[in-house]
Amino acid sequence: MKALWRTAAAWLLAAAALCAHAGRPCERQPLQAAQVERGMALALATERALDASGAEVVVLARAGQDLSQYGLNYSHLGFAYRDSVQGRTVWRVAHKLNHCGTAEAALYRQGLGDFFLDRPYRYEAAFIVLDRQLQSQLLPLLRDNQRLAQWHTPRYNMVAYPWSQTYQQSNQWAIETLAGAAEPAASNRRQAQAWLQLRGYEPTTLRLGPLTRLGARATSANIAFDDHPNDKCFSDRIETVTVDSVFAWLQRSGLGGATTTVR
Amino acid sequence: MTPTQRPLLAALLGLSLMTGKVGARAHNDLSEVSATSALPVAVSVAAPAMLLAGGAVLTVVSVQASATGTVWVLERASDGARVTLQFAGAAAGASLAASGAAVVVTAVSTGWLISTAGQAIAFVPNQIGVSLLYNERVTR
Repeated sequence: MKALWRTAAAWLLAAAALCAHAGRPCERQPLQAAQVERGMALALATERALDASGAEVVVLARAGQDLSQYGLNYSHLGFAYRDSVQGRTVWRVAHKLNHCGTAEAALYRQGLGDFFLDRPYRYEAAFIVLDRQLQSQLLPLLRDNQRLAQWHTPRYNMVAYPWSQTYQQSNQWAIETLAGAAEPAASNRRQAQAWLQLRGYEPTTLRLGPLTRLGARATSANIAFDDHPNDKCFSDRIETVTVDSVFAWLQRSGLGGATTTVR
Repeated sequence: MTPTQRPLLAALLGLSLMTGKVGARAHNDLSEVSATSALPVAVSVAAPAMLLAGGAVLTVVSVQASATGTVWVLERASDGARVTLQFAGAAAGASLAASGAAVVVTAVSTGWLISTAGQAIAFVPNQIGVSLLYNERVTR
């Protein structure tokens, strides 16, 4: 009986620790030739689909990881927008990237090639054309580095809680920035989150048990659970911003159209 | 420079490649994880067109630092025809290319891929490819 109590106590301590902090180093390997070929081919196909869409701004997603165990199709999104370089139309992607497994992240503006050379799990893109008014609100912001950073928090947590400002993951930055563009009064993260709640955004709830959280904490600098409310964390419900939940919300709210898939 | 080199060089020198390297990131995410990329992208190339037609096997003659970056000279053993690639920054100097190494040039729709033993060691974008490559860090 004592052993049972000891085990139970150990589990409770582990669970409490899990709702604290975490980390993981980064592996760097050269790209394979096939990865470059496929990534650039997907970038070109996406460029053509974006050109054909007639849009100026879309929400663009990639499948960096296999998240099918969570019922998710894509892992990461950013804003792709039309720009011009020396008279030529180009598409640029504004998005947030974590630095190699550290607890920090930064905003980047990249070409479609760079976006898809990131060793995706599946060579497939998806995008949603935003409502015209929202596009016109976002476009000047996406070209302005200062405004782009207005809703950015460098402290990164892959599973950041959507209604906290302690950390910020990539998809979260994107929708908070979208909120800030749509609502001028949403000039900071807290206000942007309030707008998202008002407009009915619903995050994905991941069921992550203590063992999964323990593994994540032990191996990843970019995973933390201490921003999640205790009642949700201890009941294994980890809410975070996912591409699939953003796409569903954009369509549900009328802020975006149908999903276009590119392979 | 031979006459056949000039059009290709002219086409590529005019391209405004802002990025010096692309790709190479690690993932384990629900949103995404990224590292500094590691694939050098040529900002200019001087070569007989046939050498970049694809499938050519070349030997690395030299990898040298220049005032503006790194210069690679590649050569085809059969006739001594040479390709000179220029890269911005030092990334291309610390790459997998070493003097004496054999590399393969593969033509793709967006440019030319240079690889060795299946690993990509550089990319030379054509006019289609150059519009797809750009990398700017917006925040520190």
